[in-house]
Amino acid sequence: MIEVTGSLKRRLAVWLLVTVTGLGALLMIEARVSSHRAAERAYDSQLEAAALTIAEAVQWQQGEPLIEVPAAALQILATRHQERVFYAVLDADGAPVSTNLPFTLEPGWRERAADAPLALTARLDGEAWRLYGREVDSAGWVSQEPVQVWVGHTRAGRMALADELFERTLTRFVAMVLLAGVLMALALRVALGPMRRLRRVLRRRDADDMRPLDARVPEEMRELAQTLDHLFARQRQSREALLRFTADASHQLKTPLAGLQSVSELALTSEDPAEWRAALAAVHEGAGRTSRLAGQLLSLARLRHLGEAEAVAPLDLAAVLRETVLDWAEREAARDHDLGLAPLPAGPVWVRAEGWAIRELLGNLIDNALRYTPPGSVITLGLEVLEGREGRGEVALFVEDDGPGVPAKARERLLQPFERGGRQDTEGSGLGLSIVDSIARRLDGRLSLGARESHGLRVRLSLPLCDPEEAP
Amino acid sequence: MMARRTALSFIVLTLLLVGAGPLRAAPTPLVVEAALDREVVAPLLDAFRAAHPEIALDFRDRTTLEVDALVAEADPAPDVVISSAMPWQMARVNQGYARRLDSPAARRWPAWAKWRDEVFGFTFEPIVMAYRLDLSRHMAPPQTHADLHTLLTTERDALAGKVTTYSPLESGVGYTLHQQDARYTPRFWDLVAGMGRVDARLEGSTRAMLEGLSDGRYWLGYNLLGSYAMVWAQTHPEVIVQVPQDYSLVMMRMAFIHRDAPHPVAAEAFVDFLLGREGQRVLAGQTPLFSVRPDIVGPFTAARLRDQVGERLFPIPLNASLLAFVDPQRRAAFLERWRREFRRAEEE
Repeated sequence: MIEVTGSLKRRLAVWLLVTVTGLGALLMIEARVSSHRAAERAYDSQLEAAALTIAEAVQWQQGEPLIEVPAAALQILATRHQERVFYAVLDADGAPVSTNLPFTLEPGWRERAADAPLALTARLDGEAWRLYGREVDSAGWVSQEPVQVWVGHTRAGRMALADELFERTLTRFVAMVLLAGVLMALALRVALGPMRRLRRVLRRRDADDMRPLDARVPEEMRELAQTLDHLFARQRQSREALLRFTADASHQLKTPLAGLQSVSELALTSEDPAEWRAALAAVHEGAGRTSRLAGQLLSLARLRHLGEAEAVAPLDLAAVLRETVLDWAEREAARDHDLGLAPLPAGPVWVRAEGWAIRELLGNLIDNALRYTPPGSVITLGLEVLEGREGRGEVALFVEDDGPGVPAKARERLLQPFERGGRQDTEGSGLGLSIVDSIARRLDGRLSLGARESHGLRVRLSLPLCDPEEAP
Repeated sequence: MMARRTALSFIVLTLLLVGAGPLRAAPTPLVVEAALDREVVAPLLDAFRAAHPEIALDFRDRTTLEVDALVAEADPAPDVVISSAMPWQMARVNQGYARRLDSPAARRWPAWAKWRDEVFGFTFEPIVMAYRLDLSRHMAPPQTHADLHTLLTTERDALAGKVTTYSPLESGVGYTLHQQDARYTPRFWDLVAGMGRVDARLEGSTRAMLEGLSDGRYWLGYNLLGSYAMVWAQTHPEVIVQVPQDYSLVMMRMAFIHRDAPHPVAAEAFVDFLLGREGQRVLAGQTPLFSVRPDIVGPFTAARLRDQVGERLFPIPLNASLLAFVDPQRRAAFLERWRREFRRAEEE
């Protein structure tokens, strides 16, 4: 079932938005701070220029500092923003020699300005002012005391410049974000191009076209394309297997049906009731064999088309084994064989499997052993509990006989349907091991065929043990 | 029913009218402290009263120094302050005594004639020389500053005691004009020395100088306010006004609304009127104060003055450099030098 969980574009847009908002907020704070700093620096240098111009005009007369404030200094102070301006020339005691506004400068400021030029922001006369003070050494004939020059102006120009700088940064940022957004959208379109191409390729394919994909894909989509190819390959295989199976099954069913037809035809031409009887017996036997063959075919088909095994309840394998062997030992077919059980583990052996599957599997294996071994052969079934790696235990179920066995080369092929290990003399259909193999796959087990000592056959199925705590 | 409602409306209307009556009868007072001759500016004041009958304008004509003192000391503060002493006005604005005016007229006002949108130079008054007709009988009247300097040197005896100019000590306007002259050329000091040689008389106002010219006490006056001189010359044919042909200073009256104006709305209406088309048209047509606005037509406009005198008009810049003029030490140093140069002749 396909569930649409949002759109890639929207998800990308949201991420872009979140990133831009977060980074943008930080950037803007930084821009705000640095534009203020830049504005302060720019205007502080004007304060410095004005202070120097005034300092240049300081002269000494009769031991008193004398200052004719240069008009240019005041214009520098006022700036093009027409600030209110302040200047003061202080003598060594801090008393004003000349000033235009009655601001009191804190003694602390004067002490600091004595060490190094000082710029500070202060609130005076109900308005924020930027002040700048520096000490000027001057040599007169009578006095060599230093004087301090203080200048200041209001901050409208600084605010305006800071706002202007900030606005410019903001504009650039917004433009960049918009551009990035548009480019992102375009890039997304281009990046999703291969996806659209692949979709077109898939849409154009015929229903029974199982060839590998022929498409150009980027690195990120290689895995998807490969998975699709694997899927096609598996479908192709299973389709071929199905066709082969159907062909084989038809062929198998045709032979006994043809036999029935010839026997019944022969009987119809005869007048002898004894022959009729013999023919009827032959027909009965043939119908029974055909019916068993059809039953096995059905069972195999059912196994193959059953879906994945659902979570099944744990099952005591030892109990099922014991029960099945007892059941078979009493049958007519096992009269000439020595069917027995190897010693079983003491407690129950828990595996996840359906009871019918295990019984079907065991039935097929025992039936095979009875059919393909001469009378008097010993057939033994048993369980071996193995400690697997990482605490995952395994149990091996085995069926062995001391019959003629199967050459190693033919063993693998035995698992194919209609394969009888080169023995066409018996009544078997060649489906038994095929069914066993299907069940083993279904139970997530491993099936292996081997020899028992020098001769005979040993069929072994390993199943994972399930956690004893989960057992009922 | 209908009649009753009509009667009710009538009563309500009557009540409203009666209630509105006393409101109209109590106009907002508006105090304007100005260093500006009432006679010269009367047409403007009349026009304002006609345009704003709801405002009772109290126009007080004072000297520049009185006006400046009132800015800080008057209680209650005046609403509007007008003065021709540009440096002092600028200093008061820098001290924060002005209130910003945000109006269309204020925004449109030329940038060179305003500062911080708080103070506005609303007139354009050339600074002129004036002479008596008697002078032209004895010598060629001066047309430039150099002419004047030559006359003061060559006609020393004839001009003795006959020359007058502003006293830089007693008049803020006089001090400003002399300072500005001195900024343009150091030869100004030769002119001062020349004045000292002819024992020039120092007056405190343009009016006093003009009266002296009409009386015949003076023959020649230097640095008079053109606005007053031109009005005077219209009724006193013996006085000739000469706009200097080399360069002519231009002074602007500066007006600002006081920060603590008791009637700020009326004050804004007044300054807005001064700067607006209406007020400037009256200035250009009915007073010799000259309109600053380039879009006003009339006999007294800055544009027309420029056409007549050419590009030799040098308005005293309305910017922070004015603040230097009122620096006490700088002022003291200037006056000291002025005195020294004035007495140079005695020492020689």
